[in-house]
Amino acid sequence: MSEDATITPDGTATVEAPAAAAPAAPPGGYRLAMRFSGSGSEYFRIWIVNLLLILVTVGLYYPFAKVRRLRYFYGNTQLGGEEFDFHGSPWKMLRGFLLMAAFAGAYALATNASPWAALVALVAFAAIWPALFRASLQFRLANTSWRGLRFQFLGTTADAYRAMWPMLLAMFMYLGAAAFVQPKGQAAAGEPPAAMVVIMLVGLVLVMLLMPWFWYSIKRYQHGNYALGPMRTELRAKAGSFYGVFLKAAGLALLCMVPMIIVAIGGSVLAAILGSGKSKGAGPVIGFVLFGGAMVLSYVVMLVVAGAFVTSRLQNLVWGSTRGRDVKFASALKARALAKLTAKNWLLTVLTLGLYIPFARVAKAKLLIEAVEVTTRHPPQVLTAALRGMGGDAAGDAAGDLLGFDVGL
Amino acid sequence: MSSAPDATLNAEYFDGRSAQAHAVQLRVQGHELLIDGDGLALRAPLKRVRWPERQRHGARRIVLDDGTIVRCADAAAFDRFARAVGAGDSITVRAQQSWRWTLAAVVLLIALVAAGYRWGLPAAARAVLAFVPAGVDERVGDGAYQSIASWLLKPSTIAPDRQRLLRSEFERAIARAHPRGVGHAVRLQFHAAPRLGPNAFALPGGIIVITDELLQRLPERNDVVLGVLAHELGHVRQRHGMRLLVQASLLGAATSMAFGDFSNLLAAAPALIGQLGYSRDFERDADDEAIALLRANGVSPLVMVTLFEAITRPLPRPGAASGNTSGAPAASAASSPREASARAQSAEFGIAFSSHPPDDERIARFRAAAAR
Repeated sequence: MSEDATITPDGTATVEAPAAAAPAAPPGGYRLAMRFSGSGSEYFRIWIVNLLLILVTVGLYYPFAKVRRLRYFYGNTQLGGEEFDFHGSPWKMLRGFLLMAAFAGAYALATNASPWAALVALVAFAAIWPALFRASLQFRLANTSWRGLRFQFLGTTADAYRAMWPMLLAMFMYLGAAAFVQPKGQAAAGEPPAAMVVIMLVGLVLVMLLMPWFWYSIKRYQHGNYALGPMRTELRAKAGSFYGVFLKAAGLALLCMVPMIIVAIGGSVLAAILGSGKSKGAGPVIGFVLFGGAMVLSYVVMLVVAGAFVTSRLQNLVWGSTRGRDVKFASALKARALAKLTAKNWLLTVLTLGLYIPFARVAKAKLLIEAVEVTTRHPPQVLTAALRGMGGDAAGDAAGDLLGFDVGL
Repeated sequence: MSSAPDATLNAEYFDGRSAQAHAVQLRVQGHELLIDGDGLALRAPLKRVRWPERQRHGARRIVLDDGTIVRCADAAAFDRFARAVGAGDSITVRAQQSWRWTLAAVVLLIALVAAGYRWGLPAAARAVLAFVPAGVDERVGDGAYQSIASWLLKPSTIAPDRQRLLRSEFERAIARAHPRGVGHAVRLQFHAAPRLGPNAFALPGGIIVITDELLQRLPERNDVVLGVLAHELGHVRQRHGMRLLVQASLLGAATSMAFGDFSNLLAAAPALIGQLGYSRDFERDADDEAIALLRANGVSPLVMVTLFEAITRPLPRPGAASGNTSGAPAASAASSPREASARAQSAEFGIAFSSHPPDDERIARFRAAAAR
């Protein structure tokens, strides 16, 4: 096992220059396609057995289920014909899971006890969030392999705080003040303090204004610290591009509402005209049904269309501007295709009372993953890594679940 | 099929330091997996080898103890080799490979969910609640009372004398039935509530609200009113409101675990209390409590039968000051006035007394208790 070790001890291993025997690199570099070969019916069976075992064990099976799910998805994701693998130990993840469950329970209790307790819980939560975020990425990457090499996440905790503090502050302003404005379980105290209302509103405006920047900042932190062997990535996007995506999405959302509002108004006017001539009770009812139906429909359409737009544009933007010295990525995800798929997934999930969920997940993963392409300057076989076995902290992974973030892809 | 000792498999080995694949041959000898070829001669104890789960697509990968990987692109050949060397699928994998087992899992899952909802959830809620101090009930109840009061309740128009009389009678009745206290500070509130109609409800922590509309239908019958209050006291003593909340939270936690995101259900507590509605079990428990309290005070449980008649009857005096103007069209009572009025009055507030139309079972229960 030691015949080919050309490794430096500090972890900054080098790519061996293409040996003389190797043919000249193709002009565009080596293009590695992403493929996803998972099947809905196969994942359905994994999913249903997982769900059953989670229920039977009152939730304790969750980390084991998660490992099996990740192994299935990773094992069916191929880059340049080679699969990924997930190596996380479910026993370690169980510990992290229990820790996070206790934390979530304490947080839920505190937010309902009193405004001050909620505030303290919020501060504690905001204070550890960036550290948890980093731990979650570190664990996930350290336990992901391709061609036998483990990925690494090189971001520091300090950088995580640097990337997140403006947003945390804005959210803290909003949520902290909101806890005082709408006291739960307090005796009738009359009007909420005006200063708190102001702080809350300022916080809310800040949260909305900062949202695109926050995405940019987080993605820059994430994509600037992925590493495989000697390859390290960076994000070469500008914050302005993120604002562009979010603004367009907001415009699209408004546009989705317009035809529906017209239908609703027209419907109620029509109903009023019809109703005035005929029996008295039916008119307003028809108008109401038309109006309500149109509103609900427009809301769903808006979620599907704007959601697909944001997801696809962000993926294309983020991966399209992720590159390293010897590697670059591209993503060509079509918003229209994603919107179609999302609509189909939602409809079938509702119609089957949730049994379509595994099929939906597989279909979505296939669409998102296969949109990505990787180009490397050297053939991937020559990659080497120095260090192995940095497992990361399993609590970090559970934290990722709790906070709802994932590595993305 | 090849026999165990000389089964071999051609595969690739990744050493974890280089992305280069090594062409190797796998064999099993004793309790060890042998990996030979390309200058390598590795032995790994079989026990510490992670065999892959069988799946339709993709290569098979064995992960060794040290995180290095053996990959075989020929899945069929790999499965033959694995079976030959006795590395069969785990029970879980076998279960999910077979559609019959999968179907069984679906059925079992549905049965489990149903059973968990019917028995597991209430039991778990009761167990959790044993650790929640009574002070929490009060805070939750007070918060719910304020939000309910703002959209449903108006100041009472019942004569202060009658209010005082009812309060003192209720207090005396409680003291007689529960000499050692009920564990909560019971606070009786009188309110006009045109949208609730003749009604009463209890909130966690001891707030009991009775509507003017109900009292107006029972002008001279404080014994019947006592029956209503006793029923509501039962909800308070058994902490039904809190159990409902805990159940809802547990349910939320369970579904978010299954479908993958955590949401703060507790934040919606006040709205939840109003809308969920007590279960039949809760109503039965509260009825039992009412019967016990009435008997302890020498009142016949038959007063509850009188009550059900009173609240389902249209108001006796047309043109009453704060009568039920919106609901219960008395003229179109051809079908079932009882159901129509009960539904019209209570649809918007789940835990209110009349939200479960009094059924024959409940009436029979009070009759039987009276006969005893």
